Amino acid sequence: MTWELFAVFIGSSVRLAVPLLLAGTGELVSERAGVLNMSIEGMMLTGAFGAAVGAWATGNPAVGLLIGIVAVVPIALLQALLSNTLRANQIVTGIGINILVLGATTLGYREIFGARSREQIPGLAKWSPPLLGDIPVFGEAVFQQVWLLYLGIVIIVLTALVLRYTALGIAIHAAGAEPRAADKSGVSVTRIRYMGVMFAGFMSALAGAFLSIGDIHTFTEGMTRGAGYLAIAAVIFGKWTLTGTVLACLLFGAATALQFQLPTLGVNVPNAFLIMLPYLLALLAVGGLAGRQTAPRALGEAYIRR
Amino acid sequence: MTDAMLSSEKRNRAWLRPSVMISISAVVVAGLLGLFLIFAIGVSVSDALSAFIEGTLGSPYAIAASINRSIAFALVGIGFVIANRANLVNVGGEGQIAVGGIAATAVALYGGVADLPAGLPFMIPLLAALIAGMIWASIAGILKIKVGTNEVISTLLLSFIAVWLLYWCVQSPAILRKPMTSSATLPESLEIPDSTKLPLLTGDYSFPVNVGLPATVIIAIVGGLLLTKSLFGVQLRAVGFNPVAASRAGISYSRMVLLALAVAGALGGLAGGFMLLGDQYVLKDGFSSGYGFDGLVAGLLARGSVVGVIAAALLFGFLRSGGINMEMVAGVPTALVMVIQGLIVVTLAGAAFFIGRRP
Repeated sequence: MTWELFAVFIGSSVRLAVPLLLAGTGELVSERAGVLNMSIEGMMLTGAFGAAVGAWATGNPAVGLLIGIVAVVPIALLQALLSNTLRANQIVTGIGINILVLGATTLGYREIFGARSREQIPGLAKWSPPLLGDIPVFGEAVFQQVWLLYLGIVIIVLTALVLRYTALGIAIHAAGAEPRAADKSGVSVTRIRYMGVMFAGFMSALAGAFLSIGDIHTFTEGMTRGAGYLAIAAVIFGKWTLTGTVLACLLFGAATALQFQLPTLGVNVPNAFLIMLPYLLALLAVGGLAGRQTAPRALGEAYIRR
Repeated sequence: MTDAMLSSEKRNRAWLRPSVMISISAVVVAGLLGLFLIFAIGVSVSDALSAFIEGTLGSPYAIAASINRSIAFALVGIGFVIANRANLVNVGGEGQIAVGGIAATAVALYGGVADLPAGLPFMIPLLAALIAGMIWASIAGILKIKVGTNEVISTLLLSFIAVWLLYWCVQSPAILRKPMTSSATLPESLEIPDSTKLPLLTGDYSFPVNVGLPATVIIAIVGGLLLTKSLFGVQLRAVGFNPVAASRAGISYSRMVLLALAVAGALGGLAGGFMLLGDQYVLKDGFSSGYGFDGLVAGLLARGSVVGVIAAALLFGFLRSGGINMEMVAGVPTALVMVIQGLIVVTLAGAAFFIGRRP
């Protein structure tokens, strides 16, 4: 493998990992607060659809991104309401929302784009940081990326700081691990969990927008293809730590990048196997590679205030 | 109100249970919203409805096609309900159907079963389908009892893997793709031999309902009895309710989890076998698409009752057939059916709060 090809591989691994990184960070916060948010997949698809429609209608991808975020708000509110206030089974809720969104976006796509389905949608611009972008070979292949990627990195770093060093971070952790104790010490468990789900929605919207207007500049039916579930697997693989989740997402991104890289190297592996690889890795990851699992103790259980 | 009506009300009291009423209202509300959506996208509601009825009840063939769909949904749904009794959520129906279909095709085409005596040529591939589905779901069971992996995420990931496995099987001539005679050869398997196709009940292709129907009815009865009248059912419920107490009472949690998921997977695999040997005859990419989720929703809607699964499976079987015809004739995308199903699930999940029971 030449340096050029290696640089392209690293660059595409990072690019393919971005949707997982964004959604995985959102899911991590939601799970740490105690809500198993299975509707990440649907939230991403909503974000992808909203951003694509917005960018196409206004001609401005940044406005599209905003519309994608706004479109996810009702979905995230629904998930938060069902799993906190109505104490619904969080898994069932997530599955229902995912089916609903897949149907609704497919319907909306046919109605809005219909015959114009092959039309390119204006996408987010690329940007490369000074200095880093000037490194020979690697500069362009690795660092010249859609600006949303860099914004995402900033948000992930901020999330890490908040989780680790602030009272809010401690409250989030407490809401997922010891909700009753958290409640007694004056933290509103319900409010923290609503915020967790809304944050997951926001991050999923960014992730979905990255897929549609950041990466391929179009929307296709069901285009998330299980990325949301990979993000959930990444949280489990990362043992509910942000660093672990980020590393798992990068691994899944690299596994996805292989399907475009190996053929160019002349390695003859069946395409189907390569497409399957990220899911296979995710299964291995949640099935023991990570060791015994240490989920937040109250994960998936609605909190009932006495 | 006459006395006769009163006593029939009494007999039908089961229908008035809040959980049943909520299931029915969720379906009605979602259906009405579906009608509104048809109106909203500018299609004549009466055109859409007549296309829907044409596609479901318009001909013996349409009725049979709907029943064949319902069979697959019912099997997946019964498996879901059995596993759910132990508090497990099997989301992997689609993958279990896919591996069942692959196994059935492989054995029917290359297992040397075509010339065996009566019944065996289709029973052996069906058995292979059942075992394949069982193994597929058991992977999730083993992960659950060995490392505590949430079965929702493992069955989902197994589904994605199975779907690409199916794609691989029909793309690669080294596996199940038919010999490539030209570049236009479709990525699908050969047609299975006639002797391995499931016998039709009427022997007439204008009403192609096969022996899968009576088999499913028997499975439903056995499944219902297992859940309500057998020790197995009690043990499942005990493990689902409180694993610690169950193990004090001598019921092995690991054994019950593995068994419950294995049964669910076996029924999913069998559904794939029936689909392949009963009306598809050729293995194609995506043949299982959507079936797993429809079966799952049927299972959820049934709230633990096998009778409920059958009702929901029939509803969705006809809904799908009608939806396909609505798309072809009236131009209403089939995605509408998915919107309706999603609404049903979300409504049910939320409604559990008001009747104090979880689905």
